[in-house]
Amino acid sequence: MNSTNLETILEGRRSQPHQLIEVLQDVQDVYGYIPKDVMGIVAKELGVPLMEVFRVAKFYKAFTLKPRGKNVITICTGTACHVRGSQLLIDQVQGQLRLKPGDTTKDGLFTVECVNCVGACALGPVVVQNGSYSNHMTPGKLRRAIDKVQGKKKEESPHA
Amino acid sequence: MPNIKQAGDLETLRQKIQKAHKKFPKTITICGGTGCQASKAGEVIEKIREVILKQGFGKDVYIRSTGCHGFCEQGPIMVFEPGNILYCHVTTEDIQEIVDKTIRHGEVIERLLYTDPVSGKKNVKEKDIPFYLAQDRQLLNYNRLVDPGNINDYIAIGGYMALAKTLGSIKPAAVIDEINASGLRGRGGGGFPTGRKWTECREEPIDEKYVICNADEGDPGAYMDRCLLEGNPHLVIEGLLIGAWAVGARRGYIYVRKEYPLAVKHAKFAIEQARKYGLLGENIFGSGFSFDLEVARGGGAFVCGESTALMASVEGKVGEPRPKDIHTVKEGLWNKPTVLNNVETWANVPSIMLNGASWFAVKGTPGSKGTKIFALTGQVKNTGLVEVAMGTTLNNIVFDIGGGSKNGKAIKAVQTGGPSGGCLPTSLFQLPVDFDSLSTAGSMMGSGGMVVMDEGTCMVDVAKYFLNFLQDESCGKCVPCRLGVERMLEIITDITEGRGTAEQISLLEDLAETVGETSLCGLGKTAPNPVLSTLRYFQEEYLAHINEKHCPAGVCKALIQYAIAAEKCNGCGSCKRACPHGAITGQKKQVHIIDLEGCQKCGICIGECKPGAIMVN
Amino acid sequence: MIEEVTLTIDDVLVKAVKGISVLDAAVKSGICIPHLCHVPFLSDIGACRLCIVENVNNGKAKITTSCTLRVQEGMVIRANSEKVLKLRKNIAELLVAHAPNSRAIQDIAVRCGLKEVRYPFHNANCVLCGRCVRYCSEMWQGNAIGFVGRGKDRHVEYPFGKRPDTCKKCNSCVLYCPMSVTPCGEVMKTGEEHLCGKCDSQMAMAEKIPGACVWCETGKSFQCARYA
Repeated sequence: MNSTNLETILEGRRSQPHQLIEVLQDVQDVYGYIPKDVMGIVAKELGVPLMEVFRVAKFYKAFTLKPRGKNVITICTGTACHVRGSQLLIDQVQGQLRLKPGDTTKDGLFTVECVNCVGACALGPVVVQNGSYSNHMTPGKLRRAIDKVQGKKKEESPHA
Repeated sequence: MPNIKQAGDLETLRQKIQKAHKKFPKTITICGGTGCQASKAGEVIEKIREVILKQGFGKDVYIRSTGCHGFCEQGPIMVFEPGNILYCHVTTEDIQEIVDKTIRHGEVIERLLYTDPVSGKKNVKEKDIPFYLAQDRQLLNYNRLVDPGNINDYIAIGGYMALAKTLGSIKPAAVIDEINASGLRGRGGGGFPTGRKWTECREEPIDEKYVICNADEGDPGAYMDRCLLEGNPHLVIEGLLIGAWAVGARRGYIYVRKEYPLAVKHAKFAIEQARKYGLLGENIFGSGFSFDLEVARGGGAFVCGESTALMASVEGKVGEPRPKDIHTVKEGLWNKPTVLNNVETWANVPSIMLNGASWFAVKGTPGSKGTKIFALTGQVKNTGLVEVAMGTTLNNIVFDIGGGSKNGKAIKAVQTGGPSGGCLPTSLFQLPVDFDSLSTAGSMMGSGGMVVMDEGTCMVDVAKYFLNFLQDESCGKCVPCRLGVERMLEIITDITEGRGTAEQISLLEDLAETVGETSLCGLGKTAPNPVLSTLRYFQEEYLAHINEKHCPAGVCKALIQYAIAAEKCNGCGSCKRACPHGAITGQKKQVHIIDLEGCQKCGICIGECKPGAIMVN
Repeated sequence: MIEEVTLTIDDVLVKAVKGISVLDAAVKSGICIPHLCHVPFLSDIGACRLCIVENVNNGKAKITTSCTLRVQEGMVIRANSEKVLKLRKNIAELLVAHAPNSRAIQDIAVRCGLKEVRYPFHNANCVLCGRCVRYCSEMWQGNAIGFVGRGKDRHVEYPFGKRPDTCKKCNSCVLYCPMSVTPCGEVMKTGEEHLCGKCDSQMAMAEKIPGACVWCETGKSFQCARYA
């Protein structure tokens, strides 16, 4: 299945080095991260040195080289969110999930990321959970949101 | 599918669309921008469509889901015509009542009206709301009339008429004359005269040229470009078309941050629609002029807002700036002459061509013409996008439009221009805001972020925040930016953690000069601004940290301590539950205690404590 | 036919071949502009910023790196004005405070007249001048190493941290690295880093004739454009 996906992404873009970022964006969207072997294929197909593919993948924040957790919690740390206490939200997840922004929990349930601005500044602090935006976030609300997901996991686990 | 081959076709189409719109006696406009979607506008829109159809109003009511209105704090927002009734904070539970009362009988639902936080009065009509009244929404006003997914809406309000006029009767050189005469300056930050940029590019004797729209908007705290591109993409496309005609470009790019998924989607869709209508592609309006556009997605790098880094990124490379001894208007994208302008700049172009340079130049100050959109955020009552004529004072923006302080603490500064800008104190709030006045005051227009700060904000911490941001976002290529910012942060961290010395202030100033003068690109050259401006206007806060080891705002963790006031604590245990670090202990109905070793000083407990027993010392 | 232009550097009229950089023109004429990331036969990236000069145009002086600035007829350059010397000294200070364990960097600091470092020393082993990266990609099309990451995380690395087959083991990356020449005496241990400052004669010359090439030892061992 993976190779068909990659085939679709590369279609019409082969031997066009300038498509590198666009291709990696699509890879990130489809796979959830940029697998190492995919980078090798992309390098060959677009005609870009592997070094350059690696550099691009490491330079832009949009790309992650490790698989991410089931739930991606993105905390906006833009100026407007910062003055309204986004640091408290980071403290909250750090305390609750015992991880640093950018990391994934051992059970693969959560990845926590920070983003410099999602452009919903009037509603800060903003947290994006799996692509859905929540405004006026408080540590309490965030704690309950995380509890909710963890609670579900407990219910599901007997069937797993 | 209409195929527009000449200016007459556009006019016919426009009349046809307007006629079709008139068939609906009622219109509901719902904001579906990113901000309102965060307030669940998507569900509201779905629900109202469903109820309207079910109740048999399908033929009477036209529902328009628009882009951002800029009044995000109040979202989701709904406006009803006729009557101009505005409802805010609408939820799916309100929909049935809205259809029964407002749609069926024209009845106003008090509960959903907007309450002015300053006067406490309710406003029925959208146009009477003080937040809007004090503004001059030349560009933003279109957003509430246009469904960004429907090119017909844009054509109905006169869209692409400026292009038709330009291609039909204005020579490229005359277009540039008009832009020059209007006094339009780049809205992205630096304020470079747009006409001069276009002239230099046009003069290059090379066939292959490019125009680019910079929608990277990495400036945290600003979102006017998102709002314009997301809410009215065709306006930006029309601007780009006119610019391309003027400088002789046949291809263009819109470079959008990936963090703005809705803007990416709308821009892509609008380009497809414009192609289908014959407004992009070969021989547009039968003029012989051909032009096509593509969307390039940014990968989350602030430095890509810098022109050479942005162009490297469009070329699929790492977004590292290169020295600009040769300007991008001569050697830009793929080393070809390129005009790069910001979203708001392009959005201003169509109306200048349609109404003339003098119409545009009526507003503003001698050096800065027209209007400017600001993102007013932070500790004010009304947050959102604010469009005012250049030269409006900070007082007007923060107090008249913003409604003043949000939670009773005194406002002490406004941060403009993001990481490249600075913090201005209230003593400068009478300053008329334009490109030149802001840079004289040690700040910058930037793309137009305005973050209001009150007594609860520590200015040294603000400087530290921006340095952290810049250290993360610098590409790291040149020494002054990479090592200089790192050292500035090292010094500021010393100060916020109580290790600061008086000599460090002069070292900071000396270092700031070096970074500003010698860095390779604009990011580094403006990186010291947040430090310099806070040093200039809030030096007493630095000195309090250094001399008294005291953070006046109670923000810097190393200089504060949390404690529970025994006489106020009711032993409810909320703080204990809330503390993510397990640093609070206490029995039910007994006074709780904070363990100073375990306390990370995050302050989460303060928000949870109802009796207000937690103190910061 | 080689076209020549005439420009003024530090009040001296200099003839230079059209198309070369101001840095090359100055160094060839015996005017010293300290530099680190510039290597005569590699592309210029303007990363170290040591070679900054003032380019005076219509009475306005603009600070720019001379390695990336092409000579032009009638150009007026101030390579060693008071302002340039001060800024250059501050950049040298940043460099030596970051990576004191390099003779090249210590020598450059002396040449820039640096007598005191106002920051705590770090003991980094790379200043990201990119000589190795450019040598590898430009001379050998090796692309075996590159700048990875950004901001404070930027570093030189193989793709995925593993030496690729495209590496020809030519060792140029080591030869051209300013960190490969350790300071006179011992390698400084963490906590014992300092400004070397043993070369009194160099310091005296840096103070008396900052703008004149003195055929310094740094240049000889370190590919200064003068020796090219």
